[in-house]
Amino acid sequence: MNERDRRRLIEAAVSARRERNLDGVILPHPAWADLPEADRERIFEETRLQRRIESAIDPRRLSATGRAVLERITGAR
Amino acid sequence: MNDLDSHLDGIIAGDPHAFSLWVAGVEPRLRGRLRSFAAHVDTEAVMQETLLRIWQTAGRFEPDGKPDGLLRLAMRIARHLALDEVRKKRPDRVTAAMLEENAIDNREDGSLEIDEHIRACLAKLPPKPLAAINARIHGGWRRDDDLADRVGMTLNTFFQNVSRARAALAECLRGLGVNLGGAR
Repeated sequence: MNERDRRRLIEAAVSARRERNLDGVILPHPAWADLPEADRERIFEETRLQRRIESAIDPRRLSATGRAVLERITGAR
Repeated sequence: MNDLDSHLDGIIAGDPHAFSLWVAGVEPRLRGRLRSFAAHVDTEAVMQETLLRIWQTAGRFEPDGKPDGLLRLAMRIARHLALDEVRKKRPDRVTAAMLEENAIDNREDGSLEIDEHIRACLAKLPPKPLAAINARIHGGWRRDDDLADRVGMTLNTFFQNVSRARAALAECLRGLGVNLGGAR
C-alpha cells in the first residue's frame, strides 16, 4: 500500500458512517479493517479530534457519532 | 444528582432530546474508555453500538444511587463489546488496560472556551480545506462520496482537504495552548 492509499484509508475510517449487518449490528469501517495496528491507533486519535471539532460547532454539542445514533433512533435513516 | 443523571427520567421515558443531552455529555469519556482497544477494534462502531444499546435498554435501567449510573453501564457495555471482538480475533492481545473495569480517560476537555478556540481556528482555514471539513462536520455520518460531491471535489481531493484542515486546526489550537491531539 502506498502512502497516498494509506492516508485515504485513514481519512475514510475517521468518518462516523458505519453500515449495519442483517441483524442490525453496526459493522467496522472497511477501511479500518484494511490498515495495520499503528494506523488504527492514528485513526483513534484523528477521530477523537474530529469529533471534538464537530461537537464544538453543533448547537446540541453532538458530534457526528451522536448525530448518527440520534438519526437511527428517531428513524431518520 | 449530577448533570448527566438529570437526563435519566427523560431517557427512560423514551425522549430523544434527553438522550441527545446525555450523549453530548458522555461521548468523550466513553470514547476515552476504548483507547486501549484502538489497535484491535473499530472504536467508532463500538461507540455507536453502545449508544444504541443504551437507548434500547434504558427503560429497564435501575439507578443504584451512585453518580453517572447510565454512563457506568455504557462503559461496561462498550468494554464487553470491544473485549468480545479482541477475544474472537486476537485473544493473545488482551491487555490489563482492556480488562480494567473503571479506566476513564479524562484528557478530553469539553469546555466552551475550547469551543471558541476551535471556531476561531476554523475561520482561519483556506477555502477548500474549510469547505471539506465543514462537510464532514455537518454530515459526517453520511457517505463520503456524497459529501465530496456536495463540495465539488473528487473523493481523494476531499479526503486530502479534510486531513489538511484538521492538521491545520490542531496546529492553530496548539498555538493557543490547546492540545487536542491530531497529526503534526
